[in-house]
Amino acid sequence: MTSNTAKALEKTQLTLGIIALTDSAPLVIAKHLGLFQHWGLTVDLALQHSWSTLRDKLQAGLLDGAQMLAPIPLASCTGANSGNALITAFNLSMNGNGITLSKALYREVCQVSDEFEQQTPKLPLTASYLKLAIAKRKQQGLAKLTFAVVHPYSCHFYQLRDWLKSADIDIDSDIDVMVIAPVDMNAALESGDIDGFCVGNPWNAKAVRADIGVTVITSCDIWSQAPEKVLAVSERWQQQNPNTFLALLAAVQQACQWLAEPINRFEAAVILSSSEYLNEELSVVAPSLLDSCLTERGEPPRKVVAYNRFISQEANKPTLTQGYQLLEKMATAGQLNGELSQSQQHQIVKQVYRPDLYIAMQRLLAVS
Amino acid sequence: MTKKQEQLTVLVIDDDMARAQSFQSALADTPYQVIHLAHTSMSLLKEVERHQPDIILIDIESPNRDTIESLATISAYNPKPVVMFSDNQMPDMVNDSIKAGVSAYITSDTRPDKAKFILDVAVARFNEFQKLRDELDQAKRKLASRKWVDQAKAILIEQQGMSEQQAYNAIRKMAMNNGQKMEDVAKNMVDMMQLMAGGKQ
Repeated sequence: MTSNTAKALEKTQLTLGIIALTDSAPLVIAKHLGLFQHWGLTVDLALQHSWSTLRDKLQAGLLDGAQMLAPIPLASCTGANSGNALITAFNLSMNGNGITLSKALYREVCQVSDEFEQQTPKLPLTASYLKLAIAKRKQQGLAKLTFAVVHPYSCHFYQLRDWLKSADIDIDSDIDVMVIAPVDMNAALESGDIDGFCVGNPWNAKAVRADIGVTVITSCDIWSQAPEKVLAVSERWQQQNPNTFLALLAAVQQACQWLAEPINRFEAAVILSSSEYLNEELSVVAPSLLDSCLTERGEPPRKVVAYNRFISQEANKPTLTQGYQLLEKMATAGQLNGELSQSQQHQIVKQVYRPDLYIAMQRLLAVS
Repeated sequence: MTKKQEQLTVLVIDDDMARAQSFQSALADTPYQVIHLAHTSMSLLKEVERHQPDIILIDIESPNRDTIESLATISAYNPKPVVMFSDNQMPDMVNDSIKAGVSAYITSDTRPDKAKFILDVAVARFNEFQKLRDELDQAKRKLASRKWVDQAKAILIEQQGMSEQQAYNAIRKMAMNNGQKMEDVAKNMVDMMQLMAGGKQ
């Protein structure tokens, strides 16, 4: 079934970059189930420590492909002098992020909610309580709150912005925002360097288990069905390895299909939690894969449907609309350094988003 | 050297003590003063604020890289030239890297005595890039301001039957009388027209 229909592979030994996050699952599972092998590929998964370095290595050709924050390929194409554009033909995951507040900040929020409505706030938390808490802090002359996100060009940053904006909190003046790597988020929250963060799992669940934070809202509550990570390669690499690229996509598509079955989710959690990948307790890796959002220690978890989504009707096919939506978020966040004309936007989105290659992979899958 | 160069502070973020030390000693008799940080994670931005370095030298494998990159992309911070320690030979991707705030690479086969030269080039390249970026910003602002003035002129031509030159003179006169920029006067005029048009509906 492998080689009859597939065209000759240009390259069979690949190194793919991943970051220690639950939504690296499609790549981890494809390797673990032997799906890459099935398509004639020998794949090494190389754990990286920052998104910036992951991107640089991809552009420099030190990695063949990578799990990537959805906005980064677009960001790599905006502005002048883009040497080696990053493209995507596959959405690896949707949703999956959470906003966690430090215990101290959560207590402040509970206090204002108690003063106004004589009850503890319901989750997902409306940002209006946070606004009241911010106003109270100002009155008392307390320091500005600091929130952390994982990268400037990340859905985490845009989701945090949108959540705060829903209560008219001005992200540029009412709070400070900084960037911290996912693995360092919990240490920063515990030390009091930050008051909250927006990050992917297992890092929210870990904060709750360690009783240093309360996860008050998830990305599913802020946006519906947002592409979170994409499978990125450089445009040059795809042009040099067109058949290998389709084989890679086919293997990952089959991994996503496997992940779609609830019965497989716990197995996925076991594999991900091993020392080879996340090296974290199963009790913090499993919840989000099982649609469970840990909220606060001692309180029941909240059901969040599709907390980590790896597949659904057409979910893996990248659409131009998704590209435009992300560009708009980037513009709102003031990251586009001036306006892009409509034709410039069109050009960038068409270069980065390649549904045509996804369709080619589907044809390959259909005949194998 | 005839002119005395001013002191420049280099913040080195690297857990590889031996590598950091060899560069520190290579820079001993140069204008570069090294501050070395290892195993820092969370309070990195505080350290940057405290030391106000002129250059940041960071290990490419450090989880702090995204934090350092945010200096160039989150406008609340001041961008700094960043030089990267890398085990791999990074191909020439200066154009892409510099956009992300990286001005140079030091690889494992770089000799420590080249360190000063690399830092000199990095600073020069960074300053050049900042200058270009400032010029671009200025050009864009100019364009935006012309857009407002053009719109206001169009309003005056259409509603008051002025010629283009008369409209331009009228806006300039109002700006001079009020001690405002032409752009601001024009913008107010356009806003006002929109408000009135909205009120009629």
